[in-house]
Amino acid sequence: MTDQDKDPVVHSSLSKPLFISSALLLLSLGWALYDEVYGTRPWKGYEARFAKVYSKYLKETLPNELQSETQIKASPDYQDLDRQMQAAEKSVMPQVAEIDHRVNLELVPRSLALNEPFQEVRGHVGALTYQIEISKSESSKESMRKEIEELKKEVHTVKLPTADGSTEKLPMDFATMDQTLQKWKAEKAALLQKRVDLLKPATELRAKRDKYLTDRISDVSADTLNGLRNKMSIFEVGIRQIHVKDVDLVDRCESCHMGIEEPVTLTKEAMGGEEAFISHPKRELLKVHDPEKFGCTPCHGGNGVALTSIEKAHGYNEHWLWPLHKPENLEAGCQQCHSQEIVTEMADTLDAGREIFRLRGCMACHRYEGFDRDPDELSGVNQDIRQLTQQKAEWTREIGFSTTKGDNTPDNDQAQKFYQHANDLKVRISGLDAKIEQDDDRARSLVREIKKVGPSLKEVRMKMHKEWLPVWLKDPHAWRPGTKMPTFRLDDGEIRAISAFIWQSGVTGDLTHQLPGDPEKGKEAFETRGCMACHSMGEGDEKQGGTFAANLSRVGEKDNYDYLVRWVHNPRQRTLPYCPFEKKDITAEDYKRAGQPFVFDLDHDKCPNDGHQLLVMQMTPMPSLRLTEAEARDIASYLETRKKDGFAYANADFVDDPSLKARGQFLVRFYGCAGCHEIAGLEEEQRIGTELTKEGSKPIERLDFALKGHDAERDGWYTHKGFFEHKLLNPAFYDEGKEKAKLDRLKMPNFNLSKPEIDAVTTFLLGSVDPNIPSRYFYNPGDQRRDIIDGWWVVRKYNCMGCHQVHVGQTTVFMTLPRYQDPDWKDQRPPTLIGEGARVNPQWLMSFLNNPSLTDKPEEMDRDGVRRYLKARMPTFYFSDGEIQKIVRFFAAMSSQAAPYIADRLEPLTDQERNMARQLFSSEGAPCLKCHATGDAKHDAHATAPNFLLAKERLKPGWARRWMLDPAMMSPGTAMPSGLFREEQGRMVFAGPTPASFNGYNKDQAQLLVRYMFQFTPEELTRLRASAGASQ
Amino acid sequence: MEGGLQPAPEFSPALQRPMKKENDLTTKPFIPSAAVCALFLATQANAATVTGKVVFSGPKPVVRSIDMSANPACQRAHPTPQKTETAILNPNGTLKYTFVWIKSGLPAKAWPTPTAHAEIDQKGCMYTPHVLAVMTNQPIDIKNDDPTNHNIHPLPKINQEWNESQPPKGDTKTKSFPREEVMIPVKCNVHPWMRAYIAVVHHPFFAVTGDDGTFTIKNLPAGTYTLEAVHETYGTVDQQITVGANDTKTADLTYKK
Repeated sequence: MTDQDKDPVVHSSLSKPLFISSALLLLSLGWALYDEVYGTRPWKGYEARFAKVYSKYLKETLPNELQSETQIKASPDYQDLDRQMQAAEKSVMPQVAEIDHRVNLELVPRSLALNEPFQEVRGHVGALTYQIEISKSESSKESMRKEIEELKKEVHTVKLPTADGSTEKLPMDFATMDQTLQKWKAEKAALLQKRVDLLKPATELRAKRDKYLTDRISDVSADTLNGLRNKMSIFEVGIRQIHVKDVDLVDRCESCHMGIEEPVTLTKEAMGGEEAFISHPKRELLKVHDPEKFGCTPCHGGNGVALTSIEKAHGYNEHWLWPLHKPENLEAGCQQCHSQEIVTEMADTLDAGREIFRLRGCMACHRYEGFDRDPDELSGVNQDIRQLTQQKAEWTREIGFSTTKGDNTPDNDQAQKFYQHANDLKVRISGLDAKIEQDDDRARSLVREIKKVGPSLKEVRMKMHKEWLPVWLKDPHAWRPGTKMPTFRLDDGEIRAISAFIWQSGVTGDLTHQLPGDPEKGKEAFETRGCMACHSMGEGDEKQGGTFAANLSRVGEKDNYDYLVRWVHNPRQRTLPYCPFEKKDITAEDYKRAGQPFVFDLDHDKCPNDGHQLLVMQMTPMPSLRLTEAEARDIASYLETRKKDGFAYANADFVDDPSLKARGQFLVRFYGCAGCHEIAGLEEEQRIGTELTKEGSKPIERLDFALKGHDAERDGWYTHKGFFEHKLLNPAFYDEGKEKAKLDRLKMPNFNLSKPEIDAVTTFLLGSVDPNIPSRYFYNPGDQRRDIIDGWWVVRKYNCMGCHQVHVGQTTVFMTLPRYQDPDWKDQRPPTLIGEGARVNPQWLMSFLNNPSLTDKPEEMDRDGVRRYLKARMPTFYFSDGEIQKIVRFFAAMSSQAAPYIADRLEPLTDQERNMARQLFSSEGAPCLKCHATGDAKHDAHATAPNFLLAKERLKPGWARRWMLDPAMMSPGTAMPSGLFREEQGRMVFAGPTPASFNGYNKDQAQLLVRYMFQFTPEELTRLRASAGASQ
Repeated sequence: MEGGLQPAPEFSPALQRPMKKENDLTTKPFIPSAAVCALFLATQANAATVTGKVVFSGPKPVVRSIDMSANPACQRAHPTPQKTETAILNPNGTLKYTFVWIKSGLPAKAWPTPTAHAEIDQKGCMYTPHVLAVMTNQPIDIKNDDPTNHNIHPLPKINQEWNESQPPKGDTKTKSFPREEVMIPVKCNVHPWMRAYIAVVHHPFFAVTGDDGTFTIKNLPAGTYTLEAVHETYGTVDQQITVGANDTKTADLTYKK
């Protein structure tokens, strides 16, 4: 072998590995290029598809729009307006042209040309002036002044253009230049103003013509569409992002969701079935929350920056902690800024979730900022009182010591110091007294405002049959489907112990023995007084009424008749008052010891032992219907007949066994019953659950999925949403498979929520986050809108919406009851409260809410003060002062009324006017007194409208006039008809025949009647009744 | 809907098809052939008639006098007190003011809206007629012949509700209802006893029984239909009928209670 043969360079070749490597590299290059251009940029595909589909859509809808637009433009009215506008324009065209010529061809160029030499001289003068000011010698100043004079006198040859294009040369000195420029400026301004004035009629007509068109086209005009088409014709694929620098927000959602902000409404079908391209649903939301400021992810969640895949962009991959909210939880994003509200416009699911949280009593175990502050505040207030009282005692002791020291010290000055110290302390103690007084005042409001989710268990001994307790505790939902009380997982031993403790801790007191009532009358009363706005009757398909309060289908099986009568008559009545300061019920003995009669009510609400505020009412939101005792008996008798046949109760004598009491109390504490119920001895129990205010932000690792964690990961619900949903469906879910003692198991009971309810609560919880956007984004208004927020809490608390419409478009429970579908019963529904702020005088509203019967005579209180013809009863809610203020301000804010309200001063009537109004009211053509109550019993039996005597105190005159003109617009379906007035020569006149005295009266007749109404007196009404009777 | 706005527009001319008159030989050239005979028969397709009466075999309805003493102007119009109109039994055992119509079975087409105005009057503080049947969008003239003010307040569930006042001997109001609804109660808030019912139908095959309790529905196309009677107190009663192109069928509807 030669040396050459041994050399690997000669006979071995690397071409094969090289070839393979290059092939691989080439493939990699191709792959990388593909990835770079398309693979990791799926949004490019989206954008390209969108451009195509959208352009096609615009091309197809455009002809339709054009056609309807052409039709409108061809209509005679439009043509007319167009002609008028063009005529107006034409008539002023010559003058406008003249002005344009003078301004644009003469004044402007000439001013520009003159300006240059003028500024030169001025600049020079300015420089010299400066030199004068800084020079130190008087002589140089003088010489420079002289120089300025010279400059100003110098004559320059100014070249000015003329209108015909040539140039003229004019000699001018500085002063002339100045004056000429000023003159021209003034002339230009005057001419331009004149131009605007000349064109004004034409401009107005043009606006009118254009408005005619836009009024008749609902979506977009052809102009807009053309603009959009042009935009799409120059469309370029590129990242579209929203960048809000100061919050570090980068959202690139629009790179795929291209149709979100388009002015046209795009549907899935229109966009070729691609859901990503649809317009934002509820577009009004975008007007309030400008995407340029809010972005997308603060509301929706997800990863705004990601663009490489849908999964990553929506945050559904493993490492993004805040995934996009699913459609059923979409409104969770509202909660982080609107956290103070219980009602947020356009967020129905979230509102439902909040209401379930509030109504079902979640906050009784789980603290949540904003819900149920009242009991905490009351404890705080009482704590404060205790501290201050202790401080007082300490200082009083010190006064004693100081005085004694002062008495005994040898030195006079020293003695004075001690006495002074004692005096200072005395003054400061009086300051403490003042604070304690304020605390007592606040407590007085708070005890009226605190409500418990469930009924008081202190009264069980008088209220119900003991046999019912264990049946209820076993499974409340089986006994009363839809009940608020959840089902606890109790074994029989626990049930016996708890029943025994509850029974034995109950108070006993005097219950008046009641005679039986008439169940038939009771049924009628139950169905017409308004009970069903909160309570329901009937089960399953036959259920009617509201769900705010209990279903009463089986109440006869459990309650004592005597107690039921007392409750129905006034639910706020308690057997014994409770003193929050001493934390115990006050008995007759306490009163006897203090030498006071055993009387406690709203007027006698101070504790006999220490003088502090007593809780004298039951903590239920149920109001007093101001029923007569007879009617209370009737209703109670009816309710006693509500039973399910054939249900047997086992003997429950064990509830009297004292040996069970201790264990029972332990269990009641353990399960947190006192969160929802008032229980003797447990009035100040703390919440047993975890705080949920920021539960949505809890790191996922801290949510205890227990043994379900792997299942969750495998099945894709290892998220907050998955945790909440499974927990709400079955709270014991995360105990499955665990080896735990009974008392170590999860305590949360099952609330038997339906799927929509679970979705609502999950939405609420998912939104309960530690906000990741700055607080200036939060909805925190300081103006009237704050009153709306505060007012909604009170409205929800007392279920105003069961009887009244408060929201436009809302359905009340009355509207669903079959009885009120009948044409005759429709007018028996409680009045709408939409626009209540505009309608009533807020002072009057405050007194009405305090006492809706508007009378002080106890024998007349069983009625509605305003609408006596209504069978439904506006109850007395015993609001605290704070609640009344919140409600009144709420209505005022909803109707944008200025506060405080200052009534319009109405011109007093002349005698002639009074005569005219009287005659009209009593004439056949005016139906007013046929429907409005007059105070005459026979007439009022058929009345369907309030008495006019109320108008002066109750109504606002502006509203009264608007109402008279078109009631059907303000309250569709109301009994008062529209069309009573018509317009004539700029004023409103009565549409029917008017008495002869109206001839020659050329003022507004509606306003006349309003003034008459607002000056009504009982004598006037009597006179009207008499004259009305005569003419009829 | 109110306040002087235009009423709902009528069907566009494209949708309006004139009802073919029976025996319309004048528009056809006479060409002897079997096809023409068939064609001839086909043009007679809308010539069926259904007549009958609404019989009532239940207990005699309670008729009370209406107390108008609260409204002397109304009371004066009735020398003898006015009786309630909720259930009027004719002497021959039939019901008056029963609305009878073809509830289902008609071909889906747009029936032309009549231009003739229907009329309802307020006289003696009672609505005349007590039951009025009209087609959708047909204009209804509402008159007030009383010396007292009335307000007309229809309470529909499908159409839009309105409530307007009408002065004594005032101008006629013309209204219409765009959607089919059987039946719309109408009341007057000033006089609570006043009640009328308006039935709005999208086709012209209906009738209201009168003093003899009979009804006649003409020009029905051939087919199988559900004929229904609707009464404000006694509810509904229906029957299946089949008519040929030229038939005259009789169908009685009986209320048993």
